[in-house]
Amino acid sequence: MTDLGALLDRIGRRGARRRPLRALAASGQLGYGIPEKAFRVGLEHQPDFIGCDMGSVDPGPYYLGSGKMATSPAVTRRDLHMVLTGARHLDVPLILGSAGTAGALPHLETTLDIIRTIACEEGLHFRLASIRADISGEVVKQALRETRLRPLGRIAETREADIDACTHIVGQMGTEAFVRALKTGADVIIAGRSCDTAVFAAIPQLLDYPMGLVMHMAKIIECTSICCTPGGRDAILGLLDDEGFVLDSMNPSRHATPMSVAAHSLYEQADPFSVTEPEGTLWVDRARYEAMDEHRTRVSGARWQPANRPTIKIEGSSREGERAVLLAGSCDPSFIANIWTILKDVEGIARSIYPGEYRLHTRVYGLHGVTQWPSPPEAPPREIFILVESIAQTAEEAGTAIGVFKQYLLHHGFPGRLSTGGNIAFPFTPPELGAGTAYRFRLYHVMDTEELASQFPIEVEAV
Amino acid sequence: MKLTDAARVIRSKNAGPLTLTIDLMFADSGTYERALAAPSLSPQHLATLYNQPAESIHVIPYPAALAIKLVLDRKIVAGSPGDSDVYGAQQHGPLLEVEI
Repeated sequence: MTDLGALLDRIGRRGARRRPLRALAASGQLGYGIPEKAFRVGLEHQPDFIGCDMGSVDPGPYYLGSGKMATSPAVTRRDLHMVLTGARHLDVPLILGSAGTAGALPHLETTLDIIRTIACEEGLHFRLASIRADISGEVVKQALRETRLRPLGRIAETREADIDACTHIVGQMGTEAFVRALKTGADVIIAGRSCDTAVFAAIPQLLDYPMGLVMHMAKIIECTSICCTPGGRDAILGLLDDEGFVLDSMNPSRHATPMSVAAHSLYEQADPFSVTEPEGTLWVDRARYEAMDEHRTRVSGARWQPANRPTIKIEGSSREGERAVLLAGSCDPSFIANIWTILKDVEGIARSIYPGEYRLHTRVYGLHGVTQWPSPPEAPPREIFILVESIAQTAEEAGTAIGVFKQYLLHHGFPGRLSTGGNIAFPFTPPELGAGTAYRFRLYHVMDTEELASQFPIEVEAV
Repeated sequence: MKLTDAARVIRSKNAGPLTLTIDLMFADSGTYERALAAPSLSPQHLATLYNQPAESIHVIPYPAALAIKLVLDRKIVAGSPGDSDVYGAQQHGPLLEVEI
């Protein structure tokens, strides 16, 4: 059982000269393959705890909506085995946030099952705390009615029906939930959707390190060695004292330089100067970055402003329909020159033959499949790739629509047609594929709340 | 001077599923200052490049890393049907032809 008093005794209390706290960040994306060598070097540094982030909204609404993980079971198991056995052999806490990609209950349960299986196989015994991050639709609807729910950017106006449509809704927990879990004596904490920072900030907060430094270090190390040059995914050690912290990548060829660390504040952040967390705001605008040597940088100067009222970032995903896709290409100059008219005409024909309820989204790679260019290319491309996405309420409808579209696109006659054998090349058969269920983020909001604890319940078990 | 010759990094990424953030990073303060002063990197010009209102585009200088951050609304919420770039990692394209 993790004894926080003993940890405090080992390190010393604030005010006294105490040795730096050693935080090992093992992974910013657990389940994609933790680089093993750097992690092992990290263990040799005798960290006081090990933290890992396992999830993100980045992979899109599918994972939150479906309850599935983005990472493969085999590699997820490998990574969890590495961090669990590493932490237990050192007898230090292991803290993992945003379990199973999206951090809703099915993701949390899948992750806990893997942890229990590894523990059983390895004969490990520990106290396991799990923290749920699911937020009930009723709580979010009440916040909407009381105007305590604000979108974090441009999204369609939220109605109560949108909230009801979500298959899963999660809130990002902050340090409050992790501190509560640590106080149960847990050795291993597996949490649902979490702020990346909270995973690394809870223990130093409990040990009373200055919160500006705690949060700034947590914000940097949650991405492991991405803050280095060259950036990478190797484990990083954060060494925190009462005046600053030092970043030390466990891969000797990734260097944390003042410039690379300062630049990290830009990464995936709309605001490089402040970061809003449930319990307050981190200000890094006066942060200082100094090289210790060519490999390590010392950071100081960040400030923490506690929130007047706590907030929770809310994420919700709903089923949009079933998806089918068509993959085809063309190298015919007259087809390419007329592509927009042809696609429009073919959709009209397809709808006249099969008038069901479906949507078709077409992307033409070579022209603007990836981004919306402000002007057409100077010369037309030699080849284009056409990806058509069909969304309907059933897989059969989505597939039927795209099948009709495909056949009429293949044989569509248009003025100036040169290649009368067929307009498009299929890379394989069938060229139309079922692509499973499509989801959409309905909620990406911040919710004002009175208190945090009741939203993130903890269960403790002896493994 | 082309932005691609001046910048050492031109990267785009989501900052959450509703927001796109583009970072321009420079090797020295001379090119950083030049880019900061360039009309082609004003919200008004970026509005034409990205076909969205200038009021929704923010240009944030970040001298600590000799960087300029551009923040835009995503036109389609990341990963919704019809999206072309779930991570927003390839939306720097229109900037590749910009002169500063």
